[in-house]
Amino acid sequence: MDQHIIYLLPIIFSLSGALISLFADRAGSVAASVLSLASAIYLLFQPVCIDGYLYIDGFSKILILTIALVYISTVFYSLTYLKHIENLLFQHRLYYILLNIFVATMFFSVSMDNLGLIWVGVEATTVSSALLIATENNNVTVESAWRYVIIVSTGLIISLIAVTFIYGSAGTLSLHALLQHHPDNRVFLIGIMLGIVGFGTKAGIFPMHTWLPDVHGKAPAPVSAIFSAVLLPVALYAIARLMFIFPSETVQLFAFVLGILTVAVAALIMTVQTNYKRMFAYSSMENMGMILIGLSLGGYGLLGAVIIILSHGLAKSSVFFLTGDILSISHTTNMQQVNGLIRRLPRAASALFLAAMAVTGAPPFAIFVGELFIFAAMIAKFGWLLALVVILLLAVAFISVNFKTGKMIFTGKNDLKRERSRTETWVAIVNLVLSFLVIFFIPYFETLLKNLL
Amino acid sequence: MNHTFEILGFLLIVFTLVMQWEQHVRRIIILFAASSFVIALFLVLLGLNRPSEEYMLFILAGLTIIVRGITIPVVMNRALNRLHNKPWRVREAKPLLGVGGSILLSLVFIAIGYFLYQNSLYSILKVRSGSVPFALFLQASLLIITHRHAYIQMIGFLVMENAVVMLSGWVFGGLPFIVEAGVILDLLGLVVISSLIIRVREHTIMKDGNTMETELRR
Repeated sequence: MDQHIIYLLPIIFSLSGALISLFADRAGSVAASVLSLASAIYLLFQPVCIDGYLYIDGFSKILILTIALVYISTVFYSLTYLKHIENLLFQHRLYYILLNIFVATMFFSVSMDNLGLIWVGVEATTVSSALLIATENNNVTVESAWRYVIIVSTGLIISLIAVTFIYGSAGTLSLHALLQHHPDNRVFLIGIMLGIVGFGTKAGIFPMHTWLPDVHGKAPAPVSAIFSAVLLPVALYAIARLMFIFPSETVQLFAFVLGILTVAVAALIMTVQTNYKRMFAYSSMENMGMILIGLSLGGYGLLGAVIIILSHGLAKSSVFFLTGDILSISHTTNMQQVNGLIRRLPRAASALFLAAMAVTGAPPFAIFVGELFIFAAMIAKFGWLLALVVILLLAVAFISVNFKTGKMIFTGKNDLKRERSRTETWVAIVNLVLSFLVIFFIPYFETLLKNLL
Repeated sequence: MNHTFEILGFLLIVFTLVMQWEQHVRRIIILFAASSFVIALFLVLLGLNRPSEEYMLFILAGLTIIVRGITIPVVMNRALNRLHNKPWRVREAKPLLGVGGSILLSLVFIAIGYFLYQNSLYSILKVRSGSVPFALFLQASLLIITHRHAYIQMIGFLVMENAVVMLSGWVFGGLPFIVEAGVILDLLGLVVISSLIIRVREHTIMKDGNTMETELRR
């Protein structure tokens, strides 16, 4: 265990960040996020760690890196963004404490070798993040926070039942032991399927997705960013582990169907959205659906899913950061009342245009490549017809998001006054650039995931 | 021992049935505390039945009494006291179902739980009366669905969690101690955070009225 302490560094640093935030919230959080990122990068070059407590393979390492990248950008963005929020529910200090604990629980969830402890970690993300939603104190954010708590916790109870079923039939919850040997009976199968539904609630998977647009639509920009970019994939991580343990046809088909339904529902609802934050929330749901499809297909579908997890994390956090900039000048999330952004906030508007393209899978961003891998796996398994249906749904999502975003950016009067550009926009731009750069690291991801592909 | 478990399970179902028609929040909190003591008793009996795990199960029973039976009800009651001048009068303002309707629907849910268990899981699990936790789970969902008051919804969630403890102990012999302890701690954290949110929510409801669905979508 002693030599494995380095694998706990991201958790230790983020928890220390929470403690230091009691005295120096901003400096403590910056230091914790920088050190977490450094340790996440260091872990990439360390061997796989499976010691009975921790299970950190290539898949976990990529998740840890994604969390660390979004963590540091969220902290830097929050430094200035929090100043624009009026009527704060609590002091800045508590915001940073909760943010650091929230990140620590996510690191914990993707590092554990025990399905029960993964459940504990995922549920702890709910506890630590619920108040963050209501940072801006008004009736709508508080109602969203409450819905989040009650819907997500109820969904997670289903996954706790799943954990019970799995333990009851296998006698262990260790990922390592279950991968070596697992029972092939109906109790175990029901456990795995209940787990997919339960953790799917947290990941915004149909039909338990209803909390997602409410929360993303009303939470402050940095909170929406970290939720969409890493919280949803952390829940999908738990689903992925369940599918690696029991890769039966029934389980894969079940996850595949849920993935398709998620993409379909998100793409169709996106077309009628008038709130830009809700529209991007449905875009996250659509991407989670694609990731689930990739996970269910395995092989290069899995590689595609992992590429989307990282590049979507970076690009979507960029989108939500930019929506924060827009909200702070327009004071509305209604798309019909926002226009001429290219003249008012040229830097943020250009970045938003590219970021919207990135999250909807436009080339040359890495999500496009991830989707190509998933389609290749889908065509190999189910043929062209089904792949065409999914391509059509993605096209609907692409047109909805980019048409509506384009309208906000390019329409409007020519005499609109240019607003003072904001420093935090650079955080979004950096994430957008990183999201593009993911494409160059795909061969390395393939090496990291070689045991799973 | 099975008969004792069945009696305890039946008692929990009755408690939840009473919660369903009871409108006063404080009484529902007391009923939840009582049902947590029943769960603790269940864990003690389970420990006596399984000498190899008795210490762990006794510790869990102790944790259940401290966290579910005492701390959670105290936290909820304190939050209620801070919010209202006459906390004992706080009740579900607009119950979705009357007393008769809620009893009837609860009984229907118990029957559904029994039917689902007997026709799907019984042949696999082979545990007599294993339908009790499922019936309890369905009743708890009914409690959440039919009430708008945040405390009652929270208690509905906690009853669901009690159903899972019953399920894991009775049907599968329990979860590892570290997981059970983690679940209890999570639950405590969730109740503390929820109490804060509920407090703010009640304030905003008093000030601005209930949040409409359209406001969330706007």
